[in-house]
Amino acid sequence: MTVDFALIGHQESWQAAADVLAILRGAPLPDDEIKDILPWIPPRAICHVEVGSSTGATAHGLYIDSFIPPDHLEAAYVQENTARVRAAAACAINLGAKIVSLGGFSSILIEGNFDQLPERKGTVFTTGNTLTVGLIVQGIKKMCTLEGRNLRRSTLLVVGATGDVGSGCARCLAPFVKRVQINARNEARLRKLAAELQADGVQVEIATGLEGFSTEADVVICAASLASPSLLLGRIARDAIICDAGYPKNLSPNAHMADAKIFFGGLGQIVGTLKFAPNFDGILNRHPFPRVVHGCLLEGMALALEKRFEPFSRGRGFITPDRVEEIEGIAAHHGIHLAPFYNADGPLEDCIAAAASFDSVNPGRGTVSNTRTQCQNTILLLNATDARSRENG
Amino acid sequence: MGTLIGLNCSTVECTSLTAPIWQDILAQAVTGELMAAMNYASLSEICKDPAEVADALEHAQIERGHAARFAAEGRKIGVAVPNNVDAMHWKRLREAFLRCVAERDFIGCLIVQEIMLESFAVASYARVGKVAPGTLGTTFASIAAEEEEHVDHAMAILQAERALDAQRFDDKLHRLHIEVMTTLAKMLAKECKDGHCEVCHATCVKPALFDVSLSAAELRGASLQKYLKTLDALGLPGETTLAWVTQLPI
Repeated sequence: MTVDFALIGHQESWQAAADVLAILRGAPLPDDEIKDILPWIPPRAICHVEVGSSTGATAHGLYIDSFIPPDHLEAAYVQENTARVRAAAACAINLGAKIVSLGGFSSILIEGNFDQLPERKGTVFTTGNTLTVGLIVQGIKKMCTLEGRNLRRSTLLVVGATGDVGSGCARCLAPFVKRVQINARNEARLRKLAAELQADGVQVEIATGLEGFSTEADVVICAASLASPSLLLGRIARDAIICDAGYPKNLSPNAHMADAKIFFGGLGQIVGTLKFAPNFDGILNRHPFPRVVHGCLLEGMALALEKRFEPFSRGRGFITPDRVEEIEGIAAHHGIHLAPFYNADGPLEDCIAAAASFDSVNPGRGTVSNTRTQCQNTILLLNATDARSRENG
Repeated sequence: MGTLIGLNCSTVECTSLTAPIWQDILAQAVTGELMAAMNYASLSEICKDPAEVADALEHAQIERGHAARFAAEGRKIGVAVPNNVDAMHWKRLREAFLRCVAERDFIGCLIVQEIMLESFAVASYARVGKVAPGTLGTTFASIAAEEEEHVDHAMAILQAERALDAQRFDDKLHRLHIEVMTTLAKMLAKECKDGHCEVCHATCVKPALFDVSLSAAELRGASLQKYLKTLDALGLPGETTLAWVTQLPI
């Protein structure tokens, strides 16, 4: 079978990892066994993926899990995780994938180190960051509209601004806001980005610590996971719009930020079809809406549907508004759009409204009732998972 | 310098508290090597090519040599190393191999011995080699490396066989996987649920492995990882083999 695309990913939580293994095993593994087993699994394809475009085209691919243990998603494990991503990449190459999207932490590990990927034999890699940036920017604009905010009067804070996604977001949104605050740990890179933005006439502030900024930021993009969500407390406007685009996402609405509007960003929804074999639906895409996928993975799917097998996003710091517009156009052509909003508490948009919106571009497919059931099931599943997480401390 | 440190370590660490643990680890290794020697001797009976016969007999001799080296390491730390090829799990593994011999299934024999049993041996010896003191460690490590060469030798034959008819090969491997790997998984489980293994000299050694910086979970993980990688190298679909492995008893 032709492998148009491969998606390299990993699980963000032990519960997600347990669910993946349960599908393969046909029964759940005891909790105490999962942490003993998963770290030993070599990266490999675990399922076939078929994506259907709204044009009627289809592309076939594979989901390759690097099996990075969920508690190793941090800097201390960079070498081990990079080795896993390299092995997953080698797997994609051996399986003859034409284009490979690097999902989640894989993208972060490799974006500045494409030379660390194995020899390619006709396979191209994309970090998928350009479409991720496009979806984050779309999300900010849409949320501002929904909340009646004038983006042009806003101060934008980008946390993790020197990464590929963070810098791309800063470039794309800077022309639309009053002022930009950029934050990252590397001051030299911050100054370089600031100079680039200032050359276009943007007012820029830089700081390696959030305490270095005034508290006027009312639009915030967290392109990097915060060490602690409480770091934002008292550092931004009380009613700020916050896009959690970090990996893993760790911002949730709480009593201390009751007026803030937090949503998970960088996610897209496929209008057409998304099928997994074996059926990992709801396991590999754990979102409260159907056919929602991370932008980084969607980029590879969109390029495969377009038959543009090219390393669209590679390296760090090359994402420009023009490139974002180009990939958004390709994605939209195949029915890949901004996902409905949600955060850790669940959907921010009415499921039924989202389904109705879906139906408006897919007349006659009768999805409202299906989507309602799927939303309800997913929300129940999320609630059950949260409850179990709380029980496990 | 390295050897001196190793010998001191061996003397100090293996004579009192941990010697019984190494004794049981060595007993499993000696039993496995003796069974491998028996398997290669049996394999020689169904080889058609005289070169293959000689090869199988040579392998049998090498495995007996490994058993002798492990037994010698036991003597160095002052323990007698027992063996029991008729022990519950080992006996089942031998029977599975003999069924392949009875069917004159040369490829089946290679799959059982080289892919399944050797994956277990190579991975677990390598882990033991990293933590065992002195010459005990170097012996495990060097035998792991030698066993790896056996696997490489068989891989070329098995890859050629799979190229002829992948589906038939994969079906056979799956059948043998269920038979052999189920037994190996029980041996590798964190707890022995079927009672005493009949190789450990007293109670089950698994809970005591932590005292020598090992664990049953680690040995199982490394062994199954090696097995999966070997199947990958043969060209079997990764999603299929992972499903097989996740379905093994725990």
